[in-house]
Amino acid sequence: MTTQGSPQMPTQGTPQAPTQLPTVVADSEVATPTSVWRLAMITFTENRLALIGLIVLVLLILFSFVGPLVYHTNQVATNLINENLPPSGSHLLGTTPEGRDELGRLMIGGRSTIEVGLGVGLLATTFGLVYGAIAGFAGGIVDVVMMRFVDALLSIPYLFFVVLLAAIVQVNLLMLILVLSMVSWLSTARLVRGETLSLRTRDFVVASQGFGARARQVIARHITPNLLGVVVVNGTLKVADAILAFASVAYLGLGPAPPATNWGELISTGINNLFDGYWWQLWPAGVLIVAIVLAVNVIGDGLSDVVEVRLQKR
Amino acid sequence: MIGYVVRRLGQAVVVMVIVSIVVFGILHLLPGGLVRAQLGPRATALAVHDLTVQEGLNKPLVVQYGIWAWHALQGNLGFSYKLNQSVGSLLGEYLPRDLLLVGVSMLFAIAIAIPLGIWQGYRRNRVDDHVLSAVMLIFYSMPSFLLGVLLIVVFNLWTGLLPSTATNFGGSVGNDVQVLALPVLALCLGNVSYFSRYMRSATVDNLLSDHVRTAVAKGAAPRRLLARHVLRNSLSSTMTLIGLTLPYVLSGSLIIEALFNFPGMGLLFWNAAQARDFPVLLGVVLVVTVATVVGNLLADLGYAALDPRVRLK
Amino acid sequence: MSEAAKRVLEVEHLRTEFHLRAGTVAAVDDVSLTIDEGECVGLVGESGCGKSTTGLSIMRLLPAVGHITAGKVMLGGRDLVGLSEPQMRAVRGNDVAMIFQDPMTSLNPTTQIGVQVAEPLRIHFGTSRKAAMDRALEMLDLVGIPNPRERMRDYPHQLSGGLRQRVMIAMALTAEPKLLIADEPTTALDVTIQAQILDLLDRLRSELSMAVLLITHDMGVIAGRADRVIVMYAGKIVEAASTPELFGTTRHPYAQALLESVPQLTTSSTDRIPSIPGHPPDLANLSGGCRFAPRCRYAEPACIAAEPPLETLPDGHLVACIHPVGLAQAAGAGAAEQPPAVEVVLEQPESLPQAPVVDAAARRSELADAPLLVEIENLVKEFPIRRGLGIGGGAASLKAISGVSLTIRRGETFGLAGESGCGKTTLGRIVAAHEYPTSGTVRIEGDELLKLSRAELRRHRSDLQLMFQDPYASLDPRMRVGAIIREPLMVQGVGNRRQQWERVAELLNEIGLNRRAVDLYPHEFSGGQRQRIGMARALALSPRLIVADEPVSALDVSIQSQILNLMKRLQSDHGLTYMVISHDLAVLRYLSDTIGVMYLGKLVELGPSASVYANAAHPYTHGLIQAIPIPDPKIERAKRSAPVRGELPSAVNPPSGCRFRTRCPLAQEICAELDPPMQVFGEGHVAACHFPLQSPTDDAPPRGITVAAPAAVS
Repeated sequence: MTTQGSPQMPTQGTPQAPTQLPTVVADSEVATPTSVWRLAMITFTENRLALIGLIVLVLLILFSFVGPLVYHTNQVATNLINENLPPSGSHLLGTTPEGRDELGRLMIGGRSTIEVGLGVGLLATTFGLVYGAIAGFAGGIVDVVMMRFVDALLSIPYLFFVVLLAAIVQVNLLMLILVLSMVSWLSTARLVRGETLSLRTRDFVVASQGFGARARQVIARHITPNLLGVVVVNGTLKVADAILAFASVAYLGLGPAPPATNWGELISTGINNLFDGYWWQLWPAGVLIVAIVLAVNVIGDGLSDVVEVRLQKR
Repeated sequence: MIGYVVRRLGQAVVVMVIVSIVVFGILHLLPGGLVRAQLGPRATALAVHDLTVQEGLNKPLVVQYGIWAWHALQGNLGFSYKLNQSVGSLLGEYLPRDLLLVGVSMLFAIAIAIPLGIWQGYRRNRVDDHVLSAVMLIFYSMPSFLLGVLLIVVFNLWTGLLPSTATNFGGSVGNDVQVLALPVLALCLGNVSYFSRYMRSATVDNLLSDHVRTAVAKGAAPRRLLARHVLRNSLSSTMTLIGLTLPYVLSGSLIIEALFNFPGMGLLFWNAAQARDFPVLLGVVLVVTVATVVGNLLADLGYAALDPRVRLK
Repeated sequence: MSEAAKRVLEVEHLRTEFHLRAGTVAAVDDVSLTIDEGECVGLVGESGCGKSTTGLSIMRLLPAVGHITAGKVMLGGRDLVGLSEPQMRAVRGNDVAMIFQDPMTSLNPTTQIGVQVAEPLRIHFGTSRKAAMDRALEMLDLVGIPNPRERMRDYPHQLSGGLRQRVMIAMALTAEPKLLIADEPTTALDVTIQAQILDLLDRLRSELSMAVLLITHDMGVIAGRADRVIVMYAGKIVEAASTPELFGTTRHPYAQALLESVPQLTTSSTDRIPSIPGHPPDLANLSGGCRFAPRCRYAEPACIAAEPPLETLPDGHLVACIHPVGLAQAAGAGAAEQPPAVEVVLEQPESLPQAPVVDAAARRSELADAPLLVEIENLVKEFPIRRGLGIGGGAASLKAISGVSLTIRRGETFGLAGESGCGKTTLGRIVAAHEYPTSGTVRIEGDELLKLSRAELRRHRSDLQLMFQDPYASLDPRMRVGAIIREPLMVQGVGNRRQQWERVAELLNEIGLNRRAVDLYPHEFSGGQRQRIGMARALALSPRLIVADEPVSALDVSIQSQILNLMKRLQSDHGLTYMVISHDLAVLRYLSDTIGVMYLGKLVELGPSASVYANAAHPYTHGLIQAIPIPDPKIERAKRSAPVRGELPSAVNPPSGCRFRTRCPLAQEICAELDPPMQVFGEGHVAACHFPLQSPTDDAPPRGITVAAPAAVS
């Protein structure tokens, strides 16, 4: 009880304003100064690092999706005359071993990297949420069976599993998103299940059941909204993980075939030419990938502050 | 405690059974089946038929699973036609090297991360904590191969101190230490960033807990506080985490082995993936999974040993 | 020490600030106090008043955001505020020791208790391991741990709450400190254990001639144990006096109102207790003037103009008030009836909960004719316990309820009392249809709850509502208050949208909240307001029965009475039936018509509350009542030592025969052999004991209760 000295809830009516006592039902959103979302926004923006992360992420998205519209390069044809050129006026970041422009390559590589990250984050989170919520809410034997399955798949080292699957299927971007999601949803499911179990015994859920709410109503009205916070945080971190996993798969040469590319594959090329001194083929891609993963992780930390603050305030 | 161990063992067995079913299922979902995958698309119908019968692939799936599981239990994981060697003997050759690489790097990671995390937790929100946190976050956000390349650039390209590949592993001890240095370091740094983050937050939680406040009220100095009241409590929860990260550590070793050409199971697996050598792929997956499950088990037992609330149940 | 009592601690003008996001808050503001050798000073107040922060400031154990910004803490000729951290370490645990509220979390879970108790000696005197452990053993023996030698190697989780707190005390006293700060040392414990622990503290204080600062919210605890009392409100001392003086002639309106609002054992269900309106001020937003003025019934403009200084009155009280009670009240008796000068925005002044005045006799006869609403027969609930593999040989089960029968009449308030772990909460959950019994029947208005189909049960639920203990957990933080209160109406499909919202407004009005509340979220309300919102939700479907599990135990005393009065008013307005579950016998006394006392899964006594409180027949009931600290020093000091000894046995292997026998002062051989049958001790009053404290009568037993054949009673 170290909080004995902390002040009361700050938002109660202050005693000096009895004359303003309104007698009508507040008629607009303005009357609700501390909605959950507002509170979340305030907490998030207080975390300066997370804000920077958000800006970096937006810049990287612009770079990858808007960049090619501004900076035109031919990313399909190989051009052996131009291979391995150092940075110059015509090729701002030099060229690849196939003679393609490196900067342009980074742009389209960023596109697939971001697409895979977001795709996996969304897919895995959605599936994990549904799976975990069902297991947690059902309880009993259903829960045991569902979660043992998750335990089992979680103990297969994920990269081995992904490489195995990638070796079986024909790899394209969509397939890769599916494959990565297949390993990524597991930890989300475990998390959501745990949260659901604890929510299920919370008094407000008991109260809801107490006036006859059906399971469907309870899940829709209480469980899901209260899960949202943790799930969003987890989903954000999933995006970072997926980008790293995608890079690893691409590094192992199991990514989509050229002329498609991604940052992992570009780094891989750079590593192969490391001893030839073609630094421009390695470091820009390396910096970009670290930047995006860092940005997403930092955003995730910021969001988790938001969720924790909400839990504290309850 | 005995009840806990027995229950935990039972769980591990269940997990292994499920994994084996999944792996077996994947084996049989292969386009064209296992036989085609092994013999290649140009094999004759007769050869396919012979191998199908020989491998018992015409029997019902359940029976096939029984046979396969029975063989796997005896260490018979099939035969690699591509390498012309049984998977079991391949694993016997590669696995020990992996245990060395992963084991040593894990030991280093734990030895570095625990004091680091405690220090950061103790100095939380001071400058040194912020700097260390930032560095760890960067390591944490870096693909392991990029981290490896950074090390190669620093220790090989710039200074020439250490070899950049581990191809010629298996010479003298002195040679092996040199050769292993960078792969171990690369693997270790990634794990340090992960463990220390966790250890830091466990330390912070503990430092803010009521029982540490009691210890302060008794007059305990920081050193005593950390050694007697924080270390053990934070360690027990970090223990489980270390067990849970095993799959990630092993995944990291796959990348590091590919980068440094270290002849371990990861490299074997990578080559098998590119050659679509399925018996090897499945054998390796099974073995690394067993390693994970055993690791988790050990971690949980360690947790129980450290925490009397579990031990004395 | 033959000379005059030596001064141990002298706190002068202490000010402790917290630097929070919202700004800087003075949690302790200009606090001065002294404690002499062998003296016990009580520091009392509600949560957030700064009493714990004062204790932590003396120890310099403040959280990172807290700083002492002014004042002195003199101990043994030194000012602790000016000491360096290493110097301060030598003081902590050596000269001053502290014990905390929650003995579970305050002990290190991974270290043996012997080692923990020995630690101060190792730290401060470098005592050898062996010698320190020997001393620890002595200490464990001294604080009354049974078999201390074997217990030395136990871990905290292997001990019960009471034993853990004894270990805490042993640990604090190993180095024989001059001053002990006890911060709510018994708040987490049952009353029976509380009495034991307080006795122990008293004994050790005189044996070791130690100074004790007893921090608590409980006026009863203070009355019985403290030599002097200091009352704090919103960070400031409002009144200080010797204990008999303070309780005899209370001078500060806050202290007076606080004492009045505590329900007492003598407060019967037909009395009414006054409540303090509103809630304590937000320390980050003080408006100047007396901090209690907005809630004070005597407040006048001068109170808001300037903060009253702490002054010594002629009779020795230190009081911070312009017009202390009974001395300088300008308006005299008339002022007492004035409403508070300033209202809190969200409250509807005209509907502040007031308990209705009821005629006792009329109510009794009215209830006697009322039809039965709840009939419970032979109810049994056992929870299986997983052991080892969880299958096979798993005969072990926790016997939460072992054959309970009782009835509740419509409009009645049934109070269920007992220590934690006695099965009272489980019984409540079964009656509210949230848990299935192992065997036995529950009938509500003649319908058997267990035989209802799912759909019937769902419809039935509108008749049965729960009221929860924790006002923070019982409201969904993601929903607005309007939606929360409307939810039951939507679920049961009562009325259309418009009608539902009208009903919400009506309910808010009934619980005394402004209609503006519908658009706000739960976190914008105080604990008491939230509890009222929960009440509105429970009322939405016009239920017949409300099961209230510890409805006020999470609330401060001044807020408690608001809720209790609201419950009473709603009962008389709507003809509600209550089943109130509480460990607090005083609360039950105030609310209940009938009381049932449970012990380890069994109903040991049942009867009209007046009769049970006045003439308890079961030694357990008697002990429970005796153990309640009464805020009256005369009564409290006249009490003998703790009335119930020992700790609650395990419900997995309950004692044979009478379950209470292991702790009963009257137990004899027969108690271990025979489960005592119920006997009648007056109209509607039964108890199950071989050696009852009253003589049995030949009145008819209450409905549904089987009593022993008269022949069996010797």
